[in-house]
Amino acid sequence: MTPSEILQDTFGKAIISASVVHGFPVFVLDKETLPLVAHFVHTHPDLRGSLSLLWAVDHRPREARYELCYLFTLAARKDWLLLRSDLHGDDRLFRSITPHIHAAKWYEREVRDLFGLIAQGHPDLRRLVRHEHWPKGTHPLKKDFSWDTVMGRQEGQYAFRRIEGEGVFEVPVGPIHAGIIEPGHFRFSVAGEPIMQLELHHFWKHRGVEKLFERRRLTDAMPLAERVSGDTTIGHSLAYCQAVETLLGVDVPRRAKYLRSLFLELERLHNHLGDVGAICNDTAYALAHAHCSRMKERIMQLNDRLTGSRFLRGVNLVGGVGCNLAAGQLAEIAEEAAAIERDFSELEAIIFANASLTDRLEATGILKERTAWDHAVMGVVGRASGIDRDLRRDHPFAAYDELPVKVALYRYGDVRARLRVRMDEIHESMRLIREIRARIPQGAIMAEPSRVPAAGEWALSAVEGWRGEILYMVMAGEEGRIHRCKVRDPSFVNWPAIQWAVLGNIIPDFPLINKSFNLSYAGNDL
Amino acid sequence: MFRIIKKSLKTGVVTGQHPEAAPAAQPVPADAKATTKPFRRSLAIREVDTGSCNACEMEMNALMNPVYDGERFGLHVAASPRHADALVVTGPVTVNMERALKDVYKATPDPKIVIALGDCAITCGQFKGSYAVTGPVERHIPVDVRIPGCPPRPAEILAALEDLRERLGKPAG
Ligand code: SF4
Repeated sequence: MTPSEILQDTFGKAIISASVVHGFPVFVLDKETLPLVAHFVHTHPDLRGSLSLLWAVDHRPREARYELCYLFTLAARKDWLLLRSDLHGDDRLFRSITPHIHAAKWYEREVRDLFGLIAQGHPDLRRLVRHEHWPKGTHPLKKDFSWDTVMGRQEGQYAFRRIEGEGVFEVPVGPIHAGIIEPGHFRFSVAGEPIMQLELHHFWKHRGVEKLFERRRLTDAMPLAERVSGDTTIGHSLAYCQAVETLLGVDVPRRAKYLRSLFLELERLHNHLGDVGAICNDTAYALAHAHCSRMKERIMQLNDRLTGSRFLRGVNLVGGVGCNLAAGQLAEIAEEAAAIERDFSELEAIIFANASLTDRLEATGILKERTAWDHAVMGVVGRASGIDRDLRRDHPFAAYDELPVKVALYRYGDVRARLRVRMDEIHESMRLIREIRARIPQGAIMAEPSRVPAAGEWALSAVEGWRGEILYMVMAGEEGRIHRCKVRDPSFVNWPAIQWAVLGNIIPDFPLINKSFNLSYAGNDL
Repeated sequence: MFRIIKKSLKTGVVTGQHPEAAPAAQPVPADAKATTKPFRRSLAIREVDTGSCNACEMEMNALMNPVYDGERFGLHVAASPRHADALVVTGPVTVNMERALKDVYKATPDPKIVIALGDCAITCGQFKGSYAVTGPVERHIPVDVRIPGCPPRPAEILAALEDLRERLGKPAG
């Protein structure tokens, strides 16, 4: 039976409507049954749906209605399945699915903060995005909240979970840290050395990105998408482009698709190289760090020579890419890649010959497969904990339908496994770059839109960035405007999991564990 | 051990292997240079991110890699504002970071230099006007030097810092 048939069979009458949108099934349910169906999808042995995205849309002024959408990725064939329920009129309450599906925890808190919709039965309704000093009743993604509102200030303190007892200490860290990194707050409870509890308090960098999208037209929001998380410029701009291209009916030329894959791999390379070095550096092994940052710099200079931007900004455009590469440039990329791969292989041998280094990495910060699955963790962190997911293979986009990817997979879930995943992916990216050079077709690099989307039409797009799955849901508004753009960086999902990975470890190992996750604060806070 | 030495010898010296910086878009003001006099040989920097997209951070980090090697010009990254001579601020100031920025400014001993790095810190860039952004850095604390770019390249940051300390074109040391 197909997943749709299983649902029809079990919940036949309760389903208000069923349809297929952009190739995956969408079920509309009333708000009372939705949690039951969600639980069923999550636990049914043939479905085993993992919650990939949860978002809300305010349909005013066209309709007095909020909709809540729950996107599941089904374990068996990695298909998508979407559940939706509507809140009409002044209804602000819906039932929480968090008691059964842990991965919904932050999403439901986010929906409450940004829309003022309350998840009844949610075990933790503290504020998430809104810090305590935001005035009561501020819900920025409601359509009657103006994008340039000047916010007042109220007093208030975030209520951290407390552990009390003899010899238990709290260690607050952040928001401003010792290195050159982004702001975030970590609250540790320790008894002696081991960490008993870690609580995150993030969203210091909330810039209102999703609201800013709503001020743009579908075709001119690219600069914003590139700046959601600067280190993932290509990943985010590509995910945004693809969603908009679906809405505008653009058939992107093959050459442009190959170039997009090429740039995505270059981005993966410079970030992974940086991370391998930074992980070694946090065990005080500065030699590997120096070599890695030298290699990373080489790729960034290559990016600059090819496109005029070290971060590949301005490369992706709606309809294709803005920068064609001549045969000579492709040869230059291949040559650099080959030289760096040789260089990197020698370094790998040096790293793994160093017992005092590997000793720090092994069995540190273990994220168990079960915990990872419960939190719907994916990307590099997921693949190090046995979660076999990679969109390049499971939902091919850009040119990956013609470029089979070998997915790196490790099971131990410790810092070493996360390092190994990155190392394997560096080699795989090098191979993909060679493959792209061999196969890239000639032809155009831009295509024109073929249709105008009606207001309320939406599209979903997914890209395997270097951190993990980047999801965009773009809904068209009137006259080519954006009605709603839901941005989901993998960091938003993987951050909560770090609270489990550190348990039992000592605080001095926290920077190492954090580095091995290397999540974005900007992409998380939006 | 042998492997490590071999690798180092094979790699050689990479310092300085980067393209030249483009001429500065915003010159360093003379009074900023005067304030920086005591720090000409050594400048301890505290980086404060008030809402950047993190690309500006990455370029600050690149400044310390073997290619740009800011240390050879006496640039250090201080772990605390109390040890800093200069604050480098990146990003528009978000409503959530406003207090933290002011606290850091107060915690930094005088004399101090504030450097706004990147278009966001100077004008709020793409995030201008948002409900969650309270304005560019200069709205909250006095800014001495502006290094525009989105993000500025490490070579440009380095050149601006050298210019600030009136060391441009002078031999290292
Ligand atoms: S100036 Fe540009 S690179 Fe720097 S933080 Fe702002 S958007 Fe990012």
